[in-house]
This record gives sequence, C-alpha cells and structure tokens, in this order.
Amino acid sequence: MKTSRVLKVAFKGLGRNKLRSFLMMIGVVIGIAAVTMIVSVGIGAQNRVLERVKKFGLESLMLRAGAGREMGRPTSGQPVTTLTLEDATALKQEIRAIADIAPFVVKGQAEVIYQDKSTTTGIFGVTPSWASVWNWDAKEGEFISDEDIAGLNRVCVLGPTVRKELFGDANPIGEQLRVGSVQFEIVGVSREKGTSPAGGDMDNRVFIPLSTMMRRIANVDYISSVKILLATAEDMDKTVASIQSLLRERHQLAPGTPDDFTITTPTEVTKMAEKVSGTFNIFLVLVAGISLLAGGVVVANIMLISVNERRKEIGLRKAVGAQRKDIMLQFLYEATAVTMTGGVIGVVLGTIGAKILEAFTQMPTSISWQSVALGVVLSSAVGIVAGLQPAKRAAALQPIEAMRT
Amino acid sequence: MNNHVIQAANLTKIYSKGGKGEVYAVHDVSLEIRKGEYVAIMGASGSGKSTLMNILGCLDKPTSGSLKLDGVEVSTLTDEELATVRNRKIGFVFQSFNLLARTNALENVELPLIYSDRSDITRLAREALASVGLADRVHHNPGELSGGQQQRVAIARALVTDPEIIFADEPTGNLDSKSSLEIMALFQQLNEKGRTIVLVTHEADISEHARRIIKIADGKIISDELNQQPRVAEQEMSALVSKEVSNENK
Repeated sequence: MKTSRVLKVAFKGLGRNKLRSFLMMIGVVIGIAAVTMIVSVGIGAQNRVLERVKKFGLESLMLRAGAGREMGRPTSGQPVTTLTLEDATALKQEIRAIADIAPFVVKGQAEVIYQDKSTTTGIFGVTPSWASVWNWDAKEGEFISDEDIAGLNRVCVLGPTVRKELFGDANPIGEQLRVGSVQFEIVGVSREKGTSPAGGDMDNRVFIPLSTMMRRIANVDYISSVKILLATAEDMDKTVASIQSLLRERHQLAPGTPDDFTITTPTEVTKMAEKVSGTFNIFLVLVAGISLLAGGVVVANIMLISVNERRKEIGLRKAVGAQRKDIMLQFLYEATAVTMTGGVIGVVLGTIGAKILEAFTQMPTSISWQSVALGVVLSSAVGIVAGLQPAKRAAALQPIEAMRT
Repeated sequence: MNNHVIQAANLTKIYSKGGKGEVYAVHDVSLEIRKGEYVAIMGASGSGKSTLMNILGCLDKPTSGSLKLDGVEVSTLTDEELATVRNRKIGFVFQSFNLLARTNALENVELPLIYSDRSDITRLAREALASVGLADRVHHNPGELSGGQQQRVAIARALVTDPEIIFADEPTGNLDSKSSLEIMALFQQLNEKGRTIVLVTHEADISEHARRIIKIADGKIISDELNQQPRVAEQEMSALVSKEVSNENK
C-alpha cells in the first residue's frame, strides 16, 4: 500500500462531498486568517520599533527637559524651563564619550505663510550640528550655518511637505516666508525623512536657527531637548550616569529629589514599544487561538459524522483488504488536507485583511515567511489533532458490522 | 500440490445472547471445497449461511474449529493478516453491490488493488471490466448503470485481484429475473474458465445453477450433494426472451 494512493483516496473522498469539506474548512480559514493578521501586525509593530531605534540611532541619547517624558508624546501643560543651552554645551565639553550634541527648541502647530498660502507645521530651532547628529541635512540649498546662529539670522530650511504645500514644484529658495509676524528667507529644503515612528510626518517641519528661535519667536532662555551623539554605543549606562550626575550638579538638585530631565536610550525606546504592544499581542493571540480551537472542534465533529455516514464504505474497504492503518491514514489525510487547504486560504485572506487594516488604521503590518509557515503548520496540526479520534474510530470498525448498517 | 481451496473442520460460531444463553450461528461445520468448484450454500434466512460465508471469507473469526485457505491455517491470524488474506486470495460479491457512490466503475474496480502492492492497477481494472462485458462503461458512475451492470462492476472488482475463490452473498437478491440470469450466466462462464465460486442464497432455483449444493439449517449442514444437471443460465435467458417475444406476438 503506497502512501500516495491513500492520499489520492483521501482527496477523492473530499471531492465527493464538497459541501462537507467546505464547512470543515471554513472554521480553519477564519482561525488561520486571524493568526496571519495578528502575526503580521505583531511583526509590523516589531519592525516599527526597530525602525524607530534605527532612525533614532543606536549610538544616540535623547535628553529632554522635564521628568518622566516619553518619546513621541506631545508636551503638555507648563513648559519646562530647567534645561539650558549652557547645560548642553557643558555636557559636550565635560563628558568625553559625547561626540556631538544637537540642542533644539520645538514650537508645534505654528502657522507659516507664503503670499496667499499658509500651512500648519512644526517650527524647529536648531544648530548646524542638527544636520550631522540626525543625518538630516539640506537636499537643496543650504542648512542652518554658524553665521546664522551668531547673527540671529532670519533664515529657514523647509521640510519637503511644507515646500510642496506652499510652492508645489516651484523653487522656494530665496523666497520670503512669514512665521507669525517675522519674515524668514528660505535658504534650503531638507532631506526627506518620511513618517516618524509615532506616525507623524517628519517632513512637515520648518528649521530655523536656534538663537533666532529663542530670541525672536519663542522668546525663551531654555531649550526643549538635546539629541546626544555618542562616540560609541559601548558603556552607554556609564555615559548616561555621568550625564545625569553633571546635570543634577548644574541644576543643584538635592539628593533624593527626582531628576528634572529625562534621558532616553535606544534600549528604552525598544522596551517602551514592546510594553505597549505586548499586552495587546497576548490578547490577540488568545483570540486567534480560540477561533482556531473552534475551527478544530468543527473539523473533529464533521469528521465523526462523516465516519458514521461512511461506515459502509469503510466496511467495504476493509473487506477488500484495507489495513487498519490504511483507513486511519485515509481519514487523517482527509482532515489534514481540509485544514491545510483552509490554512492556505486563511493565510491569503489574512494577508489581504492585514493590508486592509494597514490602509485604514496606518498600523504597519508585515507579511513574512514566518506567518505563512505558522499558518500552514498550525492548520496541519489542527487537522491531525481533530482528525485523530475520528480516524481511530473508523480504523477500529469491523468489516461485517460496518457493512451491515 | 494442494487441490483444496478451503478445508474447514468443526467450525463453530457462538453468539452470546446477553445473559440468556448462547446461540450457535454455525455449529460444528466441516467441509472442503476444491479448486474449480461451483458451490451453492443454501438455507433460509437465519440458518447461519451468511455467518458461515463470513467465516470462510475471513471476514469473521470462528469461535472454534480450524480453517485452511489455500493450505494455510487462517483461524489464528490477526485482523491485519486476515485483511491481507482477503486482499490477495478472496473476492466478494454482495447483495447490495456495495459500490462507492459518485465513483466511476474503473475506480470502483481498482479499490482492492489500491490496498495491494500491484502497480498496474488501471490496466488490471480495465481488463476485469472487459471480462464482465463492461469495457464501454469504465467511466460511468454507479448511478448511471442498471442494477445488473452495477453487480457486474462488483464482480469485476472481485475478479481484479485474481483471487483463489469468489464468495457471492445473495448476488441476485436486488435484481429482476432477467438481470439475475445474466449474473448467473456470468458466474457459470467464470466457473468454466476455472474460477472457484461459492454462492450463498436462499433461493433454490438460483442455487441450482451451481454444480454442488450444500444446504444449511440451524447452523449445520443438512445435505451436501453434487448437482448432476445444473441449470444453464444462458438457455434460461433465451427461453425468457422467446417467451417475451411470443407474448408480444399474441
């Protein structure tokens, strides 16, 4: 008895009762589609975290004014005034592991006007080091220069989105842009950065000199954040500790009082994102598992009914010489073939579903060979588990008794 | 060389009757069947003839006694070994045909070969169908065939493994008289070519086609005689046809 023959018998058996096969399949299709979607959303989220860390830089730290701040979360309430430009300069001078710093001040949601057009954007007061620390220089024209900082020049660099909104395909360099009541000369257009890990448009920004920002726009003597570029990713904990102690000393914080600043490391970024998606993932996996279980129960049920209905067939097969294991395999193959087919359909539907989900929610998804393999393996497992008991029952039938019914 | 296909000695099959004693479905039966014989086992319903056939056909095991099939003792074999014996040495024809629905004649005939180690199953199945006169019906499903044709497919299925012996359990029970005669004619042809056939029936005129008639009652053999002048199914068929013709002419 060759396996290929039993396999053929199993497929013919399924073909002979298409409705039954379809009903068995549908639960598995739903279950596997759910698993595929969830895995792709999970992997998508994971990729987003990696991307976030990569964009941020593995050798970078973010220092923010205020305690307990998290990345990607908008500032709320009173502005924190504790972090100064002098702090940033001191860090660079005194801590050797720090290669460069990019202090900046952000004014979110500001209106910028060009002639009769206007758009809402984020204004970033930055130093020339921004370009190298963030790897974010000008694509056209020039970035903010040291002279701009020294002279409190009213110059700006547009993000590609702002440029497109206000100028379309026209050349913006040399034109005048108004921020509030202050006129700026456009000197450059920044490099495309795409969507931020938090989902915001990183190209919808206008960069101006930090000094101009502090004196003429925001009228502040403090800064929002400093991005710190380290010479190496090694000993990051040590570097973080020395930054912390230096700032505490400069801010004259008594022992026991909490920091009035927040340092975010790439590891913390990763952890944070995992914490958020972790609970969500467990819940989703549970839901997928339950639907798959329900699919398995349906398969087991219909297989049992099928075995009962086909007692005569089983009896005949045994009468003409089928061994116990031939019958056992026939029904196991039937169950597994149904669930595997359901699995493949489920993977396809799940992929489509994930793409639809992505389109509607902007939640990143990723279809990988892992999710396809998981779908196929899980669906076969469901088939084997669900088919085992019915197959055993079929194999145990005695030919004359089975044929008598 | 062993000339006996079946050598049964003191076969007994007892069914317990749920605490109310026991029933002897087959009671101390001994018989021998030689190669090339055409034997009818005849008895009323409940006489034990079907149980006897099931035991002789290795579908059932005797409670006691010995059974040699083609010289090999089979009463002590396991279920799996019996399945192999049935596959290689025995062909079955059933009253209700027992063909797989929605499966064409060819695939129905291939069924026993699927469980054998033969590789040329389609060729063998086509030959078997041709030998029962259904070469032009190989791709028909049972639903598209007449009762007589369905039973011929079943006979082809029994023949396809070239078995030592064919057991036919009431093969004409579901057929009209003309189809019955066709089937009986086919069995006679097969027997003339040397096929060993055991026919189980409760109808005396069907049993009279065989060359030896064993009568069973209450699980015991009550007579075992050679039939000196078997009915010839082909003659009966032509008689039936001429009768129909003369009826129409009246």
